[in-house]
Amino acid sequence: MLSTIALDTQVLRPGLCTGCGACQGLCPYWGSVDGRTVCFFDCERLDGRCQRFCPRMPTDLDALRKQFFSEETVFPEIGPFRGLYLTRAADASIRAGAQHGGSMTALVELALQEGFIDAAVLTRSQGGLGPEGVLAVNSKEVRACSGSSFQVPPTLAVLNQALRENKFHSIGVVGTPCKTLAVYKMRANPLPENDNHAGNTGMVFGLFCGWGLDWDGLNALAAAHANPENVSHMDIPPSKYHSLELREDGKTVSVNLDEVTPLVRSGCRYCADMTAEFADLSIGGARSADGWDVDKGWNQIIVRSEKGQKLLELAREKGVLEFKEAMEGGLDKLKKASLGKKRTAVKNLQALTGKTDDLGYLNPSKDWFQDL
Amino acid sequence: MEWTITANAPGQVCLMQGNEAIVRGAVEAGINFAASYPGSPSSQVLGMLGKIARERGFYAEWSTNEVCALQACTGASLANGRALCVVKQNGLLCVADALHCAAQAGVKGGLVIVSSDDPSAHSSTNEFDSRWQAMSAGIPLLEPTTMQETKDMIPYAFQLSEEVGQIVLIRVTTRVCHGRGNVTLGPLPEKPRTLERVREWDRMVCVSYMHGPALQKLEELKARFNDSPYNHYEGPEAPKKLIVAGGTGCLYGQEALRRLGRDRETGFLSLGTLWPLPEGYILPHLRSAEDVLILEEVDPFLEQAIQALAGREGLRLRFLGRNNALPPIGELDPDVVTAAIAGLTGAPLPEKKPTGELELPVREMSFCAGCPHRATFYLLKRAMRQEKHPGVVVGDIGCYFMAGQSAGQYAWQTCNCMGSGVNVAEGLGQLTNYGLDQKVVTMCGDSTFFHTILPGLVNATYHNANMLLIVLDNSATAMTGFQPHPGTGLTAMGDHVKPMDIPKILDAVGCKVEVADPFDVVESEKTLRRMLDQPGMNVLIMRQPCATLMTKERSKKPVRVYVDQDICLGDGCGCDKYCSRVWGCPGNTWDFKKNKALIDPVTCVGCGVCAKLCPSGAIHVEEGPPQNPQIMRGEEEQESSGRDARKSVPAAAKGGEEA
Repeated sequence: MLSTIALDTQVLRPGLCTGCGACQGLCPYWGSVDGRTVCFFDCERLDGRCQRFCPRMPTDLDALRKQFFSEETVFPEIGPFRGLYLTRAADASIRAGAQHGGSMTALVELALQEGFIDAAVLTRSQGGLGPEGVLAVNSKEVRACSGSSFQVPPTLAVLNQALRENKFHSIGVVGTPCKTLAVYKMRANPLPENDNHAGNTGMVFGLFCGWGLDWDGLNALAAAHANPENVSHMDIPPSKYHSLELREDGKTVSVNLDEVTPLVRSGCRYCADMTAEFADLSIGGARSADGWDVDKGWNQIIVRSEKGQKLLELAREKGVLEFKEAMEGGLDKLKKASLGKKRTAVKNLQALTGKTDDLGYLNPSKDWFQDL
Repeated sequence: MEWTITANAPGQVCLMQGNEAIVRGAVEAGINFAASYPGSPSSQVLGMLGKIARERGFYAEWSTNEVCALQACTGASLANGRALCVVKQNGLLCVADALHCAAQAGVKGGLVIVSSDDPSAHSSTNEFDSRWQAMSAGIPLLEPTTMQETKDMIPYAFQLSEEVGQIVLIRVTTRVCHGRGNVTLGPLPEKPRTLERVREWDRMVCVSYMHGPALQKLEELKARFNDSPYNHYEGPEAPKKLIVAGGTGCLYGQEALRRLGRDRETGFLSLGTLWPLPEGYILPHLRSAEDVLILEEVDPFLEQAIQALAGREGLRLRFLGRNNALPPIGELDPDVVTAAIAGLTGAPLPEKKPTGELELPVREMSFCAGCPHRATFYLLKRAMRQEKHPGVVVGDIGCYFMAGQSAGQYAWQTCNCMGSGVNVAEGLGQLTNYGLDQKVVTMCGDSTFFHTILPGLVNATYHNANMLLIVLDNSATAMTGFQPHPGTGLTAMGDHVKPMDIPKILDAVGCKVEVADPFDVVESEKTLRRMLDQPGMNVLIMRQPCATLMTKERSKKPVRVYVDQDICLGDGCGCDKYCSRVWGCPGNTWDFKKNKALIDPVTCVGCGVCAKLCPSGAIHVEEGPPQNPQIMRGEEEQESSGRDARKSVPAAAKGGEEA
């Protein structure tokens, strides 16, 4: 099928697109507006990087995993696993601007300083509304990207452009699970005639992700509860609070989660990855069994690769991160949550295709998911 | 200007184009006034008249639209002047109300309308038949067949108009306008007809009680037409098979009849006066006939009128024509006429000689190389695709009619007649307040802006419709051959006048106005998107001169645009022939040997937009001395189409390297 039509009919129209940007920054055909992936004109090629890179086009996840991770480390619930840690940035000024503990900012900064990577593709949250992808090459630029957004911007368009320019040779990527999966798809060099210098991608830092929100929906919601211009931060505390918190001029505005859940981006309902299983390190907010306050301001990190392990150890050595004893049962809790997301995705995909044995883009890994 | 137009050489035989014959006829008729709005196939007529108007002592203008043209002619007639109004089929429909009113009021000085029909719509959006307007308005209708008749019918029509006190419609078709033939010149009058002061009790008023007198004029005309010199009969005294033809049908028919060898036994009635039907002339031939074939362009006008006549007279005849023996649409040609006559006479069809092995490839019409419209519609498509719900685009008539095809990225959903865009968009724009969740865009050219957009603009602005009107300001009535319009500061007679300023007009109307350069693709897209988001009536003027003007500029300031094929991605992922396939400028071609983009230096006019769009920066623009003198273009101005848009036409197969 023609490339643009393939993505349009198999990803955009069925509502699978996550807006990650993997199809963008490669050609004049794809772009993005307010989180919506836009096809400007039709490309008539039968094959192309856009459909090969897309994390919502059929992918044999198992084969891809075997290509990049050692098989014995893989947990079915959360993917490759070498350890779970509770950490936070040692530098209080990083923590001040961070979503949780600032571990991601500190680690990316360290990776840049120590030459693990020579640039990093990050998302600048802009207070949570209208985030954008950026290419950072120094600590200052990395720190400017602290904090999260529930709107997912097409950050990988920035990666694709940077790779195309071939100026940096080990570009780190921070992204949600859909984005990190796309990066590994790129690395697998699916279109040999044009690899877009995918070998120049460096370490991949995954972000735990429950879902992203529809851009227009969140903009309207923020405007209904606050002055969007003054919103500096958004977060969703543990489920018992059942709320989305906006920070407006330093004050916290709480929005009932019932107003938020209808705004979940359609593509996120079909996502089977909570912990960014394709990554060197995956980082999320710590969720203690003992409640929000116990681990508030801390991150949990899954180390997935040797390189990730090395960076984390270096962070410990250099005192860039502070470590805390992981709670007992933390890993099980994480596995359970991750499994829950996978089951929901399978259920939603079955509803979408109308067949219990048709999981859409997950079909090449169907056995893996049907056993859940 | 051809010598033949103004030569006072009676009896001289000249080779003339039909449009020239119309001009010569007007000069021989001693017209005082001529007005027209350009439209193919008769666009050249007023251009020529404008050039000789001063010398011959009459006034000629490119009117802002056809209504202005006909009503101005009516004014001239009131002062006893002879006035010629030249329109194309759509123009005649546009002017229908003015025509019907003027016809009921009658005329004083001769008033002749030449309406040119475009069967097969070679240079039009559609094929219409002007003749119904004569029947509907109750005015006499003439249709010439040869160039001689075309010339002769003009003075004849003026005389008729004055004798009966009625407007005369002359219908011509593309092949008559653009064909050439011998014309024997007539004498030229010393000076135009003498104007008369309008007297206090002169009346040309359209009131209901004038309907009766208007019908009386038709009765009088019927009698005159029964022995008009423009109706001929050839054939046996009492034919069983009869052909009745008007316009091109006459020549095609006579030729086919001879070719089939049935000219002796078949009657052939050529009609030059079509309405009111010269019943007294037709009936004797009809009475002996058993089978009647009607040959005419576009609609079965004569066919229905003669069927009605036969019915009234109780004749039992078999009729062949547009409804059965001929294709119901499209222009006549010798082949279809021959087939129809074979059907009538039972003559065997001569075997058709094969024309050649290779079929000509059909190529879609496209904007010229460097046309600013291409850039505007490229940007519009991008902007519309960025909307949450793709917007609706309403087309209009001009070169930009082609935007409905690949040249304009299949831009629009509707296209109606000149001036319709702003009104159709207004309707949609109002409904955006009632749940229609879409952006509404329409467009017009600068000539169309004056022609019929203005009232719609006022309406949409006054009622605050949510819409965007894009004015494609290329400073020209480009499609018909650069006739002046009120924005140009020129008149048909060559006078320099104060040009109308479109932004000032818009400003006075009270809509939001911005001006952008379509070649500045980045900024213009931003402007376009910003205006799409603004509620109310928005007008964006996309200003960049017509590419054919640029061609002239280029001979002074040459620009070389070329592809660095080492950088070009060709049909690879990341490009897929973006310049030649998507952007689609005829200057962007394809190197089949190397599978890379190529710029045709002969076609390229150096606008440089493709260099801005190339995803890999492989296209370079270099200003410098002429690289190739062949790229210099002549100064000729082509008449093509106008009020118009064309269908796909076969283009010569590409040869050489590209084959």
